[in-house]
Amino acid sequence: MTCFMFPGQPLLRTEMQAMPAFDELACCCQDKTGFNPLSDECSDPGLSENVRLQLFGVTMSLHRYSMMVLERGLPDVIAEHSMGIYPALAASRSLNNAEALELTFRIGKRLTEMSQGVQYALASVVGLAYESLNPLVAANRIYIANHNTSRHFLVAGERSCIETFANEAAAAGAFSTAVFGCDAPLHTPLIREIAADLQRIVNDYDYKDPQIPLVDHLEQRNLTAADVPGFLVEELCRPVFWDRTYRALIGRGLNSFHEIGAGSSLTKFNRWIDSER
Amino acid sequence: MSEELIQKVKQMIIDSLRIEGMSADEIDSDAPLFGEGLGLDSIDALQLVVAMEKEFSTVVPDAATGSKVFASVRSMAGYIQEQQG
Repeated sequence: MTCFMFPGQPLLRTEMQAMPAFDELACCCQDKTGFNPLSDECSDPGLSENVRLQLFGVTMSLHRYSMMVLERGLPDVIAEHSMGIYPALAASRSLNNAEALELTFRIGKRLTEMSQGVQYALASVVGLAYESLNPLVAANRIYIANHNTSRHFLVAGERSCIETFANEAAAAGAFSTAVFGCDAPLHTPLIREIAADLQRIVNDYDYKDPQIPLVDHLEQRNLTAADVPGFLVEELCRPVFWDRTYRALIGRGLNSFHEIGAGSSLTKFNRWIDSER
Repeated sequence: MSEELIQKVKQMIIDSLRIEGMSADEIDSDAPLFGEGLGLDSIDALQLVVAMEKEFSTVVPDAATGSKVFASVRSMAGYIQEQQG
């Protein structure tokens, strides 16, 4: 049984080959958001790099999905990580491609407004177990944003706190730590301060029941049309639980996993989880 | 250092990182493993740390040591040989 996994925001915009199918999606993105992820044209010069990366990631996922469906047919299950939910909604036909791109853009823009006055950052931490990591997280008033595996975490919070944490994590034996700037502390309770605005954006769309089972990364259940609006806000306020999602998918009998987007981080996380099973 | 050890290290990289469509002979012993070359990242590095400990009983204690050890296949083999005394 096959699972297509949609990853979250990529760290970099990789070079794209101009292919008709991608060009069509890039034009759709430009039409809905003013940003073309192929040509880099943007009607709003102030659009943050993070929102551009999110739109690039969604467009890339939608493109890869159409290619993979041609190659392998439809998957049995769709899974998502973080902002991978937007192309996953389109892949499962809960939204159409244009709506998924527009939703990504509108949520991204609202998240960007959080960075006015406060600098936020993320840090990826590789090698520390939760028991070692969590006291450092609590002491620095930051949050675990992604539980990717038993040894791969992403944390989020105010930049100065994240930088202090990263130094402490390295001193505590983390194999690597890397700090990245971000517009908002994604997947943390800090997002709740704009939850009402996010909910208003999310509620503007008419979600259909997914035509392919779409498994969420919080509770590992199949999302219904009625679940989607609440999930889209809740998932930004709570951590991504990829480790338990992948284990749940294995438990359902899925045995062929394909990453549908830029990069291969989910495939690598799965490899690590498999090595512990 | 022995060519046999270098081949074993290459095979360990292929197996532990599940690199498909590549044989040990296709990995350049002196090419960088990260960035250019095989294009590995920090997720791969931790997987290699565990694999080295499991297959060669060799511990890479921290990232600073790791950045030297994982510079190339040859440096990995050299570190293993050194640690095994």
